[in-house]
Order: sequence, then structure tokens, then C-alpha cells
Amino acid sequence: MAMLRSDPELSRFDPLPRIISHDDFSRGHCGWSQLVGNYEDDLDAMLPGYAQHTSAMLSTLGHWDAGSHGGMDSSYALKIATRPRAGAQNVAIKRHTFRKRGPIRFEVYFTFKPEASALKLSETDVRSVGFLFDLQGGDRDGDSDRVMPHLRFLNAENGSHLQKWQYKTETTPFKALGSTNKTFTHYHLSPEGWRDLPDGGQRLCYNEIPTKINWTYLRFDFDLESMRATGLRCNDRVFDMSAFDSIRIPAMKNLWCMLNFCMFAETDTDKRAFLYVDSVCISGDF
Amino acid sequence: MLPENITAIVARNELWSGSAASEPYEAGWAREAVIFVRALKDPKGAQPACRVEISPDGMRWVPEGTSAPMPAARDAVAALRVKHFGNWLRVAADFEVGAESTVLMTIHLKA
Repeated sequence: MAMLRSDPELSRFDPLPRIISHDDFSRGHCGWSQLVGNYEDDLDAMLPGYAQHTSAMLSTLGHWDAGSHGGMDSSYALKIATRPRAGAQNVAIKRHTFRKRGPIRFEVYFTFKPEASALKLSETDVRSVGFLFDLQGGDRDGDSDRVMPHLRFLNAENGSHLQKWQYKTETTPFKALGSTNKTFTHYHLSPEGWRDLPDGGQRLCYNEIPTKINWTYLRFDFDLESMRATGLRCNDRVFDMSAFDSIRIPAMKNLWCMLNFCMFAETDTDKRAFLYVDSVCISGDF
Repeated sequence: MLPENITAIVARNELWSGSAASEPYEAGWAREAVIFVRALKDPKGAQPACRVEISPDGMRWVPEGTSAPMPAARDAVAALRVKHFGNWLRVAADFEVGAESTVLMTIHLKA
């Protein structure tokens, strides 16, 4: 604990006993890659929700009026950018497996802004930013569902400034791809099915013009043994997760011990939405 | 420490026609970029040149000077090499009416 507290890179986190990964994006993309959709034989088979994704960038948050904003203690942050079309999304993913079903903790410092293409506050242009895990138990576990906890901060929808945390428990029906019955797809980030987290309203620091940003702390706790969320904190607010549940679907035959982490952005207007991530610390008790 | 490098997929199975351009890509950390444009399907109509564009802000674009003919056949690849580009990169091409190409565009960056 004393070493953590004295380490300027880790002191801002509250990790569980083992750090699985600590990404500050001054050492590259740290394994955060593009979420590509499934396909077989032909890329045209990829669902449109995935086909729109592009690779995340390393950004200094350069702005036309004020130059590079930079990260918390390096020049760089991970940038996940949507296309300029209302409802467009983009997702970055980090893929691991786990060695023990126990508590894990996901901590990030993030911020979001729309592309600064208008001299206006633009506070309702970003629809949401969020994250999800994609999990499945071990091949000898009896209870192995594929479990996908999803959380998003719904900033705005159809121009209404809503500012609340939401979760979802449904994905779209599975669709077989190709002819070999080996590859399937579903669109878990479809716009339908989001539910409000009880008392999940939160006004974040957006700042006063589209090129000023402030970093926000987020922490999500999940127990791989019970496959239940155990905590959510965003800055000074701690949320009751007793009503939270995940998307749960039958286990898939190639995903044992999967431990995937995704972060995503959605735009509410025909303007690019940017999710910036200064740093991520993923830890566990194992 | 080994120098950073990354392969970014900026357009995958995207139909380019009219005035087409890839999404902006930030790469200020990189000293050099090689960009490949592959035709995933048989291109239709006259294929224009594709050009590298740079930008002060990711919103306003100017030609960098590097260009290459769009790939003339399915699975053909155009290559563009750039060394001085500031922070922002994209590739643009102007197609005649009726002309198009379905592309895979990848940026390969090296610190």
C-alpha cells in the first residue's frame, strides 16, 4: 500500500492486490484494439454496428483554438472516435483471460467531447460513453454463461441532456454467419434495451466550451465467481448496484475464461463524438 | 526500449464514391507513415488518384503532396508514404459519377 501511494502513476488508483494491467497510453495503445465484428467468407456479413468501427488513436487532445490539452501526466490519451453520423458508435477492446474466478476492478480516468466543429457549447452532441466486459467461465465450470455487463453514461438523447447511468440486459438474436455453423454474431450495443440505474443521475464536469476537458474517475467492481457487479463509483458518487444485471447468454464453445474489456462512444448528432481515456488500471484479487 | 509502431484500420469494406475521404487519424507521435489502400472488390469506372491530406485540427484538410493511383483491380494495393504530417492524416479521392471502389485502408505508423 505504501508503495502504491508513493507511485505517482498508480497513486490515483485503488487497485485490488494484483494489477492485471496499467495503461497510461504514453507507451502505445497498451493492447486496446479495434472491436471488429465477426464474419465468414465475406466482410459484407459483418453487422453494420461493427462495420462502422475504426482503430483507436493516441491523442494529445489537440484543439484548433488552444492546442494540445494532453493527459493527466503524459502528453497522450487513448481516443475512441465515432463517425459523424447520429447514432454512430466506436468501441476499443482489450482481450485477456482470467486464471481465477474472483473480484476484479476496472478503473479509468476519462473524458468526452464532440468534435469542436461549431463555436457552441455542444453539450448534448455526445450521446453516451461507456464500457462493458465480455466474460465466460472456465470449461469445467457448471454455470458457464457468457456474461456481458454493460454500463453507459447517457449524456444526451435526441438533443435532451439526460446525464444518467444506464445498464442493459438484452442483446439482439444470434445470427449464423457463413455455411460452417462455426461463427455467429449478435449486436450487444444495439440502442434498444438500456435501463436506468436507480438514482443513476449524475452531472459531470463538462466545462464551458467544446475544447476544454476535465478528467473524470470511474471504478467498476465485478465478481467473476458470482458473475455479479459489486460496485460503481464515478468521482464522488457511489451507486447502488443491487438492481444491476448483465446481458447473459449461453456459453459459447471457444470463449472459456474470457476476460474482455471494452470502452465505447456514441454520438447523438451528425458530429464525431470522442471518448478520451487518460489511463486504465485493471486489477484483481487472486 | 523498442520504438512504438502500430497498424490502424481506418476504413474496412467501405464504399468510396464521389468525394471520398477516410476518417481523420491522429498520429503525432509517429515519425513516418505508410498507408495502403486495397480494393476489396472489382472497382467500377475510372479510378482517380488518392491523395494524402494533412490538417491543423482534424477538420480542415490540405493536400500533403503524396498521391498514388487508386488500385485498378480487386486485391490490388496502392501505397502512400509520408514523413512530415504533423498530427492528422487522412486519404481522399474524387471519383467521377458512376465510379467507385470498396476499400480496405490501413495506416502503418512508426515512432
